[in-house]
Amino acid sequence: MRARDLAEIVPTATRDTTGAEAVHIAAEYRLSALAVLGPESLPIALLPGSQLLALVVPPYVRDDPQLAHVFSEDAAEEFCGRLASTTIGALIDEGMVSVKRLPAVGPDDTILEIATAMVAHHCPQVLVRDADGAMLGVVTLSRALAAIARLAGEDSPGLRTRLDVDLVDLPNLGHTGQDSMDAAAVSPADPVQRSGGGPNSGGGTP
Amino acid sequence: MTVTAWLALVVFVAAYALIATEKVHRVKAALGGAAAMVIIGATRGHSAFFSESTGVDWNVVFLLLGMMIIVGVLRTTGIFEFVAIWAAKASKGRPFRMMALLVVITAVASALLDNVTTVLLIAPVTILVCDRVRISPIPFLLAEAMASNIGGTATLIGDPPNIIIASRAGFSFNDFLVHLAPLVVVLLVIFVGLCWLLWGRSLHIDPARAAALQGLRGRDAITDRALLGRLGGVLLLVLIGFATHTVHHIEPSLIAMLGAGASILVSKADQSDFLREVEWETLVFFAGLFIMVGALVEQGVIGQLAVALTGAVGDQYLAAAMVMLFGSAALSGIVDNIPYVATMSPLVLDLVGPAEGLPPPKQGVWWALALGADLGGNATAVGASANVVVTGIAKRNGHPISFWEFTKYGLVVTVVTIVAAAPYLYWRYYA
Repeated sequence: MRARDLAEIVPTATRDTTGAEAVHIAAEYRLSALAVLGPESLPIALLPGSQLLALVVPPYVRDDPQLAHVFSEDAAEEFCGRLASTTIGALIDEGMVSVKRLPAVGPDDTILEIATAMVAHHCPQVLVRDADGAMLGVVTLSRALAAIARLAGEDSPGLRTRLDVDLVDLPNLGHTGQDSMDAAAVSPADPVQRSGGGPNSGGGTP
Repeated sequence: MTVTAWLALVVFVAAYALIATEKVHRVKAALGGAAAMVIIGATRGHSAFFSESTGVDWNVVFLLLGMMIIVGVLRTTGIFEFVAIWAAKASKGRPFRMMALLVVITAVASALLDNVTTVLLIAPVTILVCDRVRISPIPFLLAEAMASNIGGTATLIGDPPNIIIASRAGFSFNDFLVHLAPLVVVLLVIFVGLCWLLWGRSLHIDPARAAALQGLRGRDAITDRALLGRLGGVLLLVLIGFATHTVHHIEPSLIAMLGAGASILVSKADQSDFLREVEWETLVFFAGLFIMVGALVEQGVIGQLAVALTGAVGDQYLAAAMVMLFGSAALSGIVDNIPYVATMSPLVLDLVGPAEGLPPPKQGVWWALALGADLGGNATAVGASANVVVTGIAKRNGHPISFWEFTKYGLVVTVVTIVAAAPYLYWRYYA
């Protein structure tokens, strides 16, 4: 199995997506990482789940994790609430989100190369890009693991579904109803990005 | 001087310039300088590794290592966070009272631990508190960086320059307590007054926001009270060990390492945890620095300088102490005070001799070096390691402190504290 076979279309964010919308998208589609697209729909960042979680952890708590214990429930909710008023672009500019390393593989790369890229970058998702840098999709952790399980001789209907059906097409994921699904899924080749207004705004229609 | 001695001097000046200008990382500059000393034949293995006067002073390196491990284990208890939050809550929303309490806590902690560790622990919780009450943490962070440098002056273990001076001169933990701690108490009172003038009078906290402080659960920062008790006991024993040196004659470095071992045993800490807290870069920097300075000693460069200085000073030790105090303060503001003191210590040793049996006028020169270097570190953002750490934390949290913002306050604090130290030196050693 090559990266082009495993690549799938997933919801993405843009610089204008708010922090709250970004975590909403990731939660709703059970994404272990969220790609951020910049101008001309080229990916500018891939935020693993740990970075999404870190959005609610102030830098001073990251410096001293012991401080997480001193906040009340109200304060914790306040930190989460702050995500609604900041955008991914602002977080990138403030250095709260790292854009230095963009884990990517080529369309002909093998599952070993995909796994190696994920391990090396500590990122549960890798971009699949062609020679021009255009994004063909992403390989998610669950699909990479499904491919590995299949190659290791495992098989089940669930495993086949994960390999054959993209996340955005899986039943019980994302909004029920075709309209919202269309709005949430993104085709990197033809994105229609909108900002504001909820989790669906981070993407466009394929 | 021989050709090798001149070459050693050139290598030293070049490495020092690189450290001062930060053109390359200070560890690379110190190790590169040490390597160059070996290549030009200014030092050899035995001198570099087995002589504390011409090579690595392992007492300094292991004292630092031991204290870093103790503090690395101690910080996991959350005691520093608890105390800082207690101070913020006790201030009841009065910003200057909060600043004064944090300044005193920082100074006391810096006297018992090293400055960098203290500000690493106190700065994040300060930003948290300021974030809760929606005021800028910058005045508080500036005050804490400077308080750590003032407080660290009080003890042998408080500031790395003191550790170097203690090892080179042979001063004990109690010597520092007797000679510097009383002055530091006075300087701290003066500094709190300066805090009012520089920042305190213009600080304001919205009373509605002040209530948010009471919602902080400082006690929850302490996750293991039994461990805190055990580690507190270890730290107390280490301090007693330092203070009773004249009885047992065990070097402070060995007491610190014994304390480090005891901390690991009572905490059952994993080696990856406590070793992560060790600032290996600093230790390697010290090693490189000692080899460089040791090569100058071995080649007789320091000796020649000392002869020239002795001729110039004669028996005018008061003048020498005052020049040392003000000169050290000026130079420590420009370059890190650690390489400065590492270079000056062998020079002062040749000039006035070791601590044992030293008459007060000569002792005063040593204390002038310590006061000038420690307090001079406050002058600029790069004068002391604690300043660099605080400005780094501030920037990471979205509150950048420019070099000049630090310096405009740092210069005032340095001038006031150094001017206050001068009459103390006169009264204590020359009157």
